[in-house]
Amino acid sequence: MHQRTVAVIAALALVLGALGAVVHGQPLSGEYRLGVLEPLTGPIAFEGKRHLEGYELMRDLINERFGGVMGRKLVIVAGDAVDPTAAASEATRLITREGVKIITGTYSSTLCGAASEAAARHNAIYWETSCVDPRFTRRGLKTVFRTEIDGTGFGWYNIEFIAKHLAHRFGKKPNELRVAFLSEDSSYGQGVTEAARARAKQEFGMAEVAAEYYAFATTNDFTPIVLKLKALNPDVVHHIARGQDAVLFWRASREQNFQFKALVHAGATGYGSPDFGKALGADGNGPFALLEPGPGFIVEKLRPEGQRIERAFRDHVKQKTGLDSPAGGHQLAAGGLWLLKLVLDRARTDELEKFRATVMAMDLPVGSSVNGWGVKFDESGQNSNARVQHYMLQWQNGQLLTVWPEEFTTNRAKWIPLGAWDQRK
Amino acid sequence: MSAIPQLVVSTILLGGIYALIAVGLTLIFGVMRVVNFAHGEFVMLGMYLAFWAFALLALDPYLVLVVSLPVFFLAGFASYGLVMRPVIRESHNVQIFTTVGLSIALQNVALVLWTGDFRFVRPAYYSVVVRLGTTAFNVSQIVAFAVAVLFTAALFAFMRWSYAGKVMRATAQDRQAAALMGIDTDRVYGLTWAIGIVCVGAAGVLLAPLYPVYPTAGLQFVLIAYVVVVLGGLGDMAGALLGSLIVAAVEVIGSYVIGTAWKEVLYFLLFIAVLLVRPAGFFGQRGAEQLGA
Repeated sequence: MHQRTVAVIAALALVLGALGAVVHGQPLSGEYRLGVLEPLTGPIAFEGKRHLEGYELMRDLINERFGGVMGRKLVIVAGDAVDPTAAASEATRLITREGVKIITGTYSSTLCGAASEAAARHNAIYWETSCVDPRFTRRGLKTVFRTEIDGTGFGWYNIEFIAKHLAHRFGKKPNELRVAFLSEDSSYGQGVTEAARARAKQEFGMAEVAAEYYAFATTNDFTPIVLKLKALNPDVVHHIARGQDAVLFWRASREQNFQFKALVHAGATGYGSPDFGKALGADGNGPFALLEPGPGFIVEKLRPEGQRIERAFRDHVKQKTGLDSPAGGHQLAAGGLWLLKLVLDRARTDELEKFRATVMAMDLPVGSSVNGWGVKFDESGQNSNARVQHYMLQWQNGQLLTVWPEEFTTNRAKWIPLGAWDQRK
Repeated sequence: MSAIPQLVVSTILLGGIYALIAVGLTLIFGVMRVVNFAHGEFVMLGMYLAFWAFALLALDPYLVLVVSLPVFFLAGFASYGLVMRPVIRESHNVQIFTTVGLSIALQNVALVLWTGDFRFVRPAYYSVVVRLGTTAFNVSQIVAFAVAVLFTAALFAFMRWSYAGKVMRATAQDRQAAALMGIDTDRVYGLTWAIGIVCVGAAGVLLAPLYPVYPTAGLQFVLIAYVVVVLGGLGDMAGALLGSLIVAAVEVIGSYVIGTAWKEVLYFLLFIAVLLVRPAGFFGQRGAEQLGA
């Protein structure tokens, strides 16, 4: 008996050891090649490179600590999607020359449509992690999936925040608020802005005092826009910015002493980019950006499995980059790649039908994954906006801090309403 | 009505920024008949020069401006000798492909060396706002406008009254006749290119405190600079300044009155209208674009 018990224990130890070895960085059998499309040159390379860095950080974490993908070492094959034409041709190259079956990406909403159409022609899977153009999943393509919230979700959240967190602190009801909508004119800006406009008007009866679009790459002076908006005296400026336009608008508003009560943005661009803080420091105090969770986020609020991967990711980012908190681009790319790993590990194949069936069957509650995301895809390939929980961050003394929902953060929003420009310290 | 003084000031200051970039372009365009598609990349290099001088040596951009003049003069001569001289007598197509190639190469060298990150030059006066009556503006904008006027006047005087300027104008009017008169047209083109690059490099230095620095930073200005140059008349400095002010006025007032989304429609409509009525631009000579070709 004793010998049998020892033998059973020894066998169990061997099995458990082998399982542990698979999970914790033992040699993986072969490689799994994944295509990653991002704008790596051209005018939006600054953000595309940040997304690629996010994929690489998560790839290393998956390979080193989580058993690769389907037991194989995950390898990234990158393509440069400098514009929509290049995005389509690079998608084709990755599929036909590099032999990838799945492509992921693509920072910009101007790129994801063209790239995914090209992938669909080869029946390849397009796993989108960051573009938010609502039309992306509305084309009837069975090959496209999006892990990130879409533009309508961004608009929904922003108006939720304005109506339920800001209005009463201005001493107003939501239907007494005057909102100016300003946006860069790409499909990202339009998608978010139109969703926000519709909800603000139909659900809360807010007064829309302006709806203005501009080309972000060629608008070199925001003074005329600021003068126009200033004359309309809005309470809130809902501004979807894409790059330097956030800095230029903020500086012009300060120069012209444009006194609005709050500015709300959504996404990892413009006010959501670390560049805004680098440009303005404490002069940039005040604007809000809807993003993935940042500094101050209480990780313990996530489910146990969500806490594990979130902590592992944050430690890994800190170790590799020195950043206390991952940038928005890192989070989108890494969050999407982690969900792809979960799907592939369950499906054990990248064959479209089985892959799609596995995606549709996945049902993870909020708080289960990186960034606190959950999973429930609909037939269009869009992850549920309600499961992709987002958080409002605010610029405070050169740092973008998580401030809402308040139960998820140790920080509190300041300057509501925004005071005079020289008193936001 | 209360916005009118500010709109006028904004027009003048934005016009100054466009003129800064356009004067170098119009010089190269006017004398060499070369459309320099790499013009925006020399703006970018000027911005990076200001950034690194500020970040590493804490040098103020206006001090760097003085240093930038000989630096870009040498860079201009070097780029002419290496890239432009071999194609200066080739067809316009070859020249276009060459300058587009130079543009892409410079962009990507910057991307590899300095990454795509936005970088900022924040001198002490970065946040200083000057208020005058009902108007407000940034110190860096005023300096940029003043230097634009200075450059325009200096180039105008240089072209009008100096011997080298007369030689350049002669070469612009008829390259073959100039060569027959004993002018070394190759040297003239080298000098023209170098002066043009000095102007645009200095423009980049002056723009650094106003705009983020990144590898494609020049692109946002250069398309407008082409419009300005054609509106003003090829090779005409005063025309470049006037064209800059007109484009800026259309942009500022159009954005305020009609809507920002319309600003490009408006100035390109103006562009087409001017080309239909006066193909040589406001100050250009009719048929000048054919001479020396």
